[in-house]
Amino acid sequence: MTPTDTLSPLVLDGLVVGAMLFAIGLVGILARRNLIVMFLCAELMLQGISVSLVSWSRHHGDWGGHVLVILVLTVAACEAAVALVFVLQAFSRTGRLDAAAWQSLRESNLPRSIDHELPAIDTVPPRFPTLTRAGIEPAADEDRLLEREHV
Amino acid sequence: MIAELFQSISPGTLLATAVTTSAAGLWLLLPRGLGGGAERAARSLGGVLSLVALGCFIATGHRLGSVGEEAVFLIVSLLAVVSAAATIVARSPVYAAIWFAMTLAGVAGVLLVLGGQFLGVATIVVYAGAILVMFLFVLMLAQPAGLAPYDRVSNEPLLSAVAGAVLLGVLSLSIGRLSAPPAACCAMPASKAALLADAPSTDAAEPGVDLLADNHVARLGGELFGRHLLAVEVAGVLLLVALIGSIAIVSRGATADIEPAAARRAVP
Amino acid sequence: MNDLSPSTLLVLVPLLPLVAAVLTVVLGRTLGGRSFLPALAGIGGAFVVALMLLAGTAREAGLGSGDHDHAPRPVEMVTTLWQWAGVGDAQAAGDAGSSALSFSIPVALRLDPLTATLLVIITGVGLLVAIYSIGYMHGDPGEPRFFALVAAFVFSMSMLVAASNFLLVYVFWEAVGACSYLLIGFWFSKPEAAKAAKKAFLVNRVGDFGLAVATFLLWLTYGTLNFHDTSLADGTLVPGILGASRLADASAYVGGAVGTAICLLLLLAACGKSAQLPLHVWLPDAMEGPTPASSLIHAATMVTAGVYLVARTAPLFVACPGALTLVSIVGASTALVAALIGTVQNDLKRVLAYSTISQLGYMFVSLGTGSLLGFTAAIFHLVTHAFFKALLFMGAGSVMHAMGGVIDMRRFGGLRRIMPITASTFLIGALALAGVAPFAGFYSKDEILSSLHARGWADTHAEHHESAPGGDRAAGLNPFRFATISSEAPVATALDAINTPATFRLLFWMSLITAGLTAFYTFRAVFMTFTGPTRVPDEAGHHAHESPPSMTVPLVILAALSAVSGWWLFSTHSLASFLASTPSFTAPSVAATATPLAFHWDIAIQGTLAAAIGIVIAALGHLGRRSDGPQMERFLGPFETLFARRFFIDEIYSGFIVKPLELIATVAAFLDRHLIDGLVDGIARIPLGCGAVIRRAQSGLLQRYALAGVIGTLLIVLALVARAMGQ
Repeated sequence: MTPTDTLSPLVLDGLVVGAMLFAIGLVGILARRNLIVMFLCAELMLQGISVSLVSWSRHHGDWGGHVLVILVLTVAACEAAVALVFVLQAFSRTGRLDAAAWQSLRESNLPRSIDHELPAIDTVPPRFPTLTRAGIEPAADEDRLLEREHV
Repeated sequence: MIAELFQSISPGTLLATAVTTSAAGLWLLLPRGLGGGAERAARSLGGVLSLVALGCFIATGHRLGSVGEEAVFLIVSLLAVVSAAATIVARSPVYAAIWFAMTLAGVAGVLLVLGGQFLGVATIVVYAGAILVMFLFVLMLAQPAGLAPYDRVSNEPLLSAVAGAVLLGVLSLSIGRLSAPPAACCAMPASKAALLADAPSTDAAEPGVDLLADNHVARLGGELFGRHLLAVEVAGVLLLVALIGSIAIVSRGATADIEPAAARRAVP
Repeated sequence: MNDLSPSTLLVLVPLLPLVAAVLTVVLGRTLGGRSFLPALAGIGGAFVVALMLLAGTAREAGLGSGDHDHAPRPVEMVTTLWQWAGVGDAQAAGDAGSSALSFSIPVALRLDPLTATLLVIITGVGLLVAIYSIGYMHGDPGEPRFFALVAAFVFSMSMLVAASNFLLVYVFWEAVGACSYLLIGFWFSKPEAAKAAKKAFLVNRVGDFGLAVATFLLWLTYGTLNFHDTSLADGTLVPGILGASRLADASAYVGGAVGTAICLLLLLAACGKSAQLPLHVWLPDAMEGPTPASSLIHAATMVTAGVYLVARTAPLFVACPGALTLVSIVGASTALVAALIGTVQNDLKRVLAYSTISQLGYMFVSLGTGSLLGFTAAIFHLVTHAFFKALLFMGAGSVMHAMGGVIDMRRFGGLRRIMPITASTFLIGALALAGVAPFAGFYSKDEILSSLHARGWADTHAEHHESAPGGDRAAGLNPFRFATISSEAPVATALDAINTPATFRLLFWMSLITAGLTAFYTFRAVFMTFTGPTRVPDEAGHHAHESPPSMTVPLVILAALSAVSGWWLFSTHSLASFLASTPSFTAPSVAATATPLAFHWDIAIQGTLAAAIGIVIAALGHLGRRSDGPQMERFLGPFETLFARRFFIDEIYSGFIVKPLELIATVAAFLDRHLIDGLVDGIARIPLGCGAVIRRAQSGLLQRYALAGVIGTLLIVLALVARAMGQ
């Protein structure tokens, strides 16, 4: 087959889906500040690429796209492993998973950009199901003090 | 009826509407630290706009051969795209990770429809089973209690959303033009076409049929370990290097960093 | 001496002090308290060599052979060491047929009677000063520096008088100025000394400017800067400015406006270096330097460089009678003004400084007469002045040394009992300065007055000589008719109109008054310092005593010279006839004015009378009285203020030159700071402002960078897509 052949509708739709995933991942990586969410977005973009590759593979009837996606999976795994280590290192230095915590590349006479005061979270406190009390109330568990109020 | 309504609109208008609404919708949906009713209202509006954008994209989509295939593709692709959008707008990184798992499920479905049987399964297994779990572990290790301030605000949400939407529009436009027969000016010069025609054909079989054969996985494996063996070896080495590298970085960081505890307390 | 050619000896004179200076600089710290050794040896060696050169030159000039009647022939010996600078080689210039195009500066030293005489004076006084300084500078932390500078000065001054090229003269004119600057500011941590050094330097710049421009004009006019004749490679003779070939031709010297301009510029240079009006203001302040340096540089040698310059360029001046007369006028005015100021000075060294200015004025008066007698008299006075003024300065230094640095005459008195050697030698020097027979100053001053008298009363003078033996030679030529000579010049300038006998009559009377004033202030200083009740300032402590032998021996030597040199040099006419062989003085225009050397009783009596009146008045006022009395105020009344404030010349300079310059500088500084700098700063603010705007993009937030990258990429993609759609 030659490149001048028209694409099948399935391939076209696959390409559109891949483009949407890629674009959404791009928005996420640009906008979100949580380092882990940023990595999730990078993976999203990789997923978009994978879908595109498989679509083209379908179009051409060639295994290359599939092989490439397998390689992308491998590289993504490697990237995730190394990058998560970096994220952990960064977190251990700043105590934050904030991409904006690293600003030392800025011009020396510019002030550090800081977030404005945020309004209080108006989420309703989580209400966990409670059982009718029976027996003696157990002593306060040390670990419960570390329990997160909100996930 | 809605489909007819959509089809009565020209593709250009549809695309412009899709770009505009997706940009506005993503901007409204992205966390901007509003809080309270304003935030709820913004997210609702953003959701509606995003749905409009999705509708536009569905309307510009193509009719597949069979209704069943079309329904399946629609469901899995919607799952993937909506979950992806939810991934990037979720305040809590844990929710984002879970939404990402949903995306993976959708992507796996899309891959299956596109004929990538092995890849669909592998995506679920490798991503959802391994990589995502790793993400969650890191989140548990690192994420402090409560909703961090940096999860409640975004970096330049409007510009980012516009950039993403414009990119999507450009890509859609390009893909849409691929479906049309090539213009005369874009036709390949005769000499080049002849050159390509003379070249030995790499795939004599009917397109798609080859990929969708019964022994799909076996043939993929044969391809992988035959023609692309070197790439597999390189990937293996890469994995090994990444493994060693991660361990090296972690162990060195553990001895080098003395102040993290203090820093953690200082910056909540 | 036989195996040493005169040219080698001539090179040795400057070379030995130079080596001494370099050695002192290098070994100064090693030698420690004996840092005077190189300078002493170098200057001493130079003195011996200079004496040998003098003897050789005297033989050459036929001195002592008794044939005074012959017209003196030029005696000159030039040694070219190397070509210093050459612009356009001589061969090419020869081909072009114009030697004026060739500009080559040979480092050439010359030996003639004038140079030989001055070399002996420079090295001789330098040697005595070096010996004297051993005692005077003992223990000063800057001792090596002092001796290095003295040696460097002797080198520079020897080169100045030996150089046979105007550019070299200029170089060493500056070099002696630099040595003078460094020695005035020797105690540079003392603000007055630093200021005085700066003042001397700046005032000398004015004169140096004159010399520089004169050099340019000379080259333009004569096409060479050499004194001597030089021959090019192809045998073409380039007549030097003072070369034999040009001297032989009476009309070879440019008169008129150009010649006058050259002479006036040379006079300006001479005024600067020799502290003549109106550039005399630096010399009194220069007394801040160590006294031996004052003695050597600011009394005996360097300040006479102006006299040397005018004497050397005598043919140029004689061609311009107006400029020549101006030399006399400047000299006489300076002599009178300085003497008047000197009468009220209470600082011993300052009295001597004004006396120096005054005596230098005398020399200029003599030079300005334009006669051979005047020129030789000026050099004669230069020689005797070098002796007695060096003696007086060293005596003052001796007093200062004993008085713990105090030099104000009102604070001590009657020192003859404490310092007998100093007192007696100082008295001899004072007698010589005052012009009392038979001390040196009497004879030289007498010759100067004679030369003036000859110009002022030319007719009577000529008659006077007709009866004298040998007068027949002068009769035919009537050498005093300079009006005729000037009329032969191509263009007579308006300035020439002042060249009248009446002018010289006035100058004669001014000089005579100056002679009386000189005697007065000299003996006033003697009486205030050495007579009256013995008083010693507190600074001297209880051990005020006579100075050590290293200081008193030079005093005695100089006293002996001051006492006898005048009589000896005059009675034998040796100096005058010797100097007459100097090429500059053998020019027809100068040589024609030669008169038989005679002793004029009338002038001698007038001069002695003036000196006697001065001494008597000084004795009436100060002999035997306390030196801090108010005699001068009572005596002079309002004039005392005028004299004490130095005729307000410093104030005039301050008001008319320094203050306007300061005003201009202030305005310029204001404009520079606010207008120019403001403009520059304003322009510099443009990139700063742009940078301030663009800088905000460099926020350090990586996601913003990523966003910018994505937007940029999108713009490119959109452009490509738009282009593709457009097709």
